[in-house]
Amino acid sequence: MATHSASHPIVHLSNVDKDYQLGAVTVTALRQVSLEIAPGEFTVIAGPSGSGKTTLLNLIGCVDVATRGQVMVAGQDTGKLSEGDLTRLRLNALGFIFQSFNLVGVLDAFQNVEFPLLLQKKLNAPQRRERVMDLLKRVGIDEHAHHRPGELSGGQRQRVAIARALVTLPRIVLADEPTANLDSVTGNQILDLMQELNREGTTFLFSTHDPKVVTRAGRVVRLVDGRIVAEETPEQYKNSQA
Amino acid sequence: MILIHIALRNLRTHKIKSAIVGGLLVFAAFLIVVGLSLISSIDTSMSKSIVNSVAGHIQLQQKGAKDELSIFGQMGSNEIGYIHNFAEIRKALESLPEVAAVVPMGIDSSIVFGGNVLDVKLEALRNAVKAGDAKQAAVVGRHVRRMVALLGEELKNLKGLTDQAKMSDDMKQGLLDVTAANQPAFWDSFDQDPYGHMEFLENKIAKMAIGEDMLMLRYVGTDTERFRHVFDRFEMVDGTPIPPGQRGFLFNKFTYEEQVKHKTARRLDKIRDRLAEGAKVATDDEIKQWIKLNRTQYKEITFQLDDVATDEVKAALQAELQTKEADLAKLVDGFMDVNDDNFPRRYALFYKVIAPKIRLYGIRVGDTMTINGFSQSGYATTVNVKMYGTFRFHGLDRSTMAGAFNVLDLMTYRDLLGYMTADKKAEIAKLQAESGVKELARDTAEDELFGKGAGEQVEDTSDTTPAQAAAATPTDAPATPTPTAVAAAAKGGNGDGAKAFAKDQESHVYSQTELDGGVIRSAAIMLKPGVDVKDGMIAVNRLIDEKKFELKALDWRAASGLVGNFIGVIYAVLAFSIFVIFLVSLVIINNSLVMSTLERTREIGTMRAIGAQRTEILWMFVVEAFVMAVVFGAIGCAIGYSLVAYFGHFGLLASNDFMVFLSGGPRFYPALPPWGLPVAMLAVMIVTLISTLYPAWLAMRITPLAAMQDSE
Repeated sequence: MATHSASHPIVHLSNVDKDYQLGAVTVTALRQVSLEIAPGEFTVIAGPSGSGKTTLLNLIGCVDVATRGQVMVAGQDTGKLSEGDLTRLRLNALGFIFQSFNLVGVLDAFQNVEFPLLLQKKLNAPQRRERVMDLLKRVGIDEHAHHRPGELSGGQRQRVAIARALVTLPRIVLADEPTANLDSVTGNQILDLMQELNREGTTFLFSTHDPKVVTRAGRVVRLVDGRIVAEETPEQYKNSQA
Repeated sequence: MILIHIALRNLRTHKIKSAIVGGLLVFAAFLIVVGLSLISSIDTSMSKSIVNSVAGHIQLQQKGAKDELSIFGQMGSNEIGYIHNFAEIRKALESLPEVAAVVPMGIDSSIVFGGNVLDVKLEALRNAVKAGDAKQAAVVGRHVRRMVALLGEELKNLKGLTDQAKMSDDMKQGLLDVTAANQPAFWDSFDQDPYGHMEFLENKIAKMAIGEDMLMLRYVGTDTERFRHVFDRFEMVDGTPIPPGQRGFLFNKFTYEEQVKHKTARRLDKIRDRLAEGAKVATDDEIKQWIKLNRTQYKEITFQLDDVATDEVKAALQAELQTKEADLAKLVDGFMDVNDDNFPRRYALFYKVIAPKIRLYGIRVGDTMTINGFSQSGYATTVNVKMYGTFRFHGLDRSTMAGAFNVLDLMTYRDLLGYMTADKKAEIAKLQAESGVKELARDTAEDELFGKGAGEQVEDTSDTTPAQAAAATPTDAPATPTPTAVAAAAKGGNGDGAKAFAKDQESHVYSQTELDGGVIRSAAIMLKPGVDVKDGMIAVNRLIDEKKFELKALDWRAASGLVGNFIGVIYAVLAFSIFVIFLVSLVIINNSLVMSTLERTREIGTMRAIGAQRTEILWMFVVEAFVMAVVFGAIGCAIGYSLVAYFGHFGLLASNDFMVFLSGGPRFYPALPPWGLPVAMLAVMIVTLISTLYPAWLAMRITPLAAMQDSE
């Protein structure tokens, strides 16, 4: 898929700090984080709860901005972008998969997947239909295209969410604990799907605190207390956990 | 497209919210549609009632007058000024392309004595004596004697009730006269000098019974011929129109029935009407009250029956009541105690047997009636005028508002107003010279009258009270000699002269120049069909400025005073209730949308995260509000429209007289003005959009981070 400019990293963070203001107290969620994600990677951000995984994903996902340091996404310095530009960047360069799927309850599977395309206003109706149906077929949910989220199982919903994340052909798909709300069998199926899609060219970055999930990654970024303590292979991670 | 879809889906998903918000919007739309229909229909029909009965489209009055003209305003004279150059004004106005006709008028009210029964019987007695019909004279004579006896009893009661010291000398004398007339000696000597006795009765006794038939009549003094042609709601019921240019009075049928008709008969009519509407005697308090009055006021009938008639009525009532009761009072009492079953039969019997024997109307077509007014200069004036018939304003037969207007010719109106034409002044001078009257005191006037044994016109003066005679004395009021003075002077001076003058008054045809030349108080302008009142006002005002007329133009709404403003009051009430409904809707809709926005925080955050701009979120809310407004507004409009259409087709019965006036007829047909539905939809949309503002603002502030809420 979108693998042009393969030589340049899609995401580039250098010395990024993120502070939160909790009343009078300043909590630093991320410290001196530097990270690069290259096209085609299947990267996991691992770490215990509260280690800063979601904060890091939010910065990369352009839903939040760094307190200090530089966050480059798809060649753009997010710190210098307006709210509207950040939104456009999210729409065109990023795909999101949420822990709780976050589908629009009143829309059926097809409409949920179509939604980003409608926001993009690039494709006409037949083109949109083709793209959406292809993806639904790809994630194995095409038979349920006209079911609303309430009528689908958790795994089916996450498949719809994955299709929605991919429908705009994003440079990178960000997934925050995508299997946390799924049983292990279904979670594995979802990870299988994501791996397949990665092999087909989609860059994934996802967070998890589940060691079993980490083993599926191509590269593990270990986060503790807001710092990157290691960048390693799943095997190295497994050893370090043991 | 997807926004509409989401909006629709949201409406269907959040059922309770939709039901509450939808219900409010439906109600609001319904209220506006129905309210607007009612108001605009009332406005239209009431304007027809007002415009086509007396007001015309535009009324003119003197510029700078102290009081503003108010056609349906309070009784009595208000200072609305005078218009002196009507002829010129009329000519100028009628040359305008917008104006169809200009009718001179003046609205006033006066007291009329409806010729009491004693007068009538005395006249019958006089005719019988004159014709030498001794038998008839005896019958009528006995009746008169009984009436005088009853009058004596009534006055005795009155005497006991009132303070002797406060009684006027005149009243005291009157009581003495009645006592005298009740002495057997008076009646024993009747046949020896019937004329002398009759004169005593006519002049001394009849006036004592005057009070009972006093009517307060409101009339419009106008060019009667023009009036009846210009106001197309005008139609004659009985009698004939006043001949063009002549003096005369026309009763409004409504007033005629209400005030002039025999009270018992009127009450029976009312009971009949009420029963026809489906009421029952047992359950209708008003019917019960009417029956009670009919039973207690039996004298209204018995008083009027002479021996022969009494026997006939007795026989009929005995048969109806199946009794041998001989007391007429008790028979009438029993007869009037009607119920649902016997009413139709007794009603018919009343009109077949009793009505022909009594005086059904105090004043009948062809009668000469005496109008007592107060001139603007404060002097009492009395004018005799012929009653030509009754009329009604089509469709407004039952309306007290329009029904209160009677019609009087312009010349008589001016006389009552105390206004003299130059001709009239000359005439008075001539008559004064002829009769040599310098001063006319009551006693000498009477002596003159009875000394000569004046002709049939004499009884007219029996109504002249001393006060009026005094006021009529030229020395008392040299500046404004009144017509009464003229009439009295004419009669006093010379019997033939009086006759001639009265005849002249009755049959004299006034020219249009005379009619238009005199003073009037206001004028009605009728516009040509299709001319908007606003345009008419502009044209008329422009002409007034151009010609420098001392006039002020008022549209019918302003001229009809409180009644015209009534529509404004309804508007205000409706506007206020709509305002309240909208305020409540605003709060409730706003509240429920805020709730649903909070519920949808994560959904909206997700949309933002995957790339929806803030404006797109705003649009989503606007579309949702719009969809709600359209869907529920349309439902409300449809319900309202159906209701209006239903009643517009079948009509709504006007429940009372005022409603008849508002409806311009007995049934009210509401119709939706063409702008009604758009206005209702627009109003609903505006309210919905306003109530969406705050929740939409809240939604716009939701950050994409909200999508990640439960992530960590």
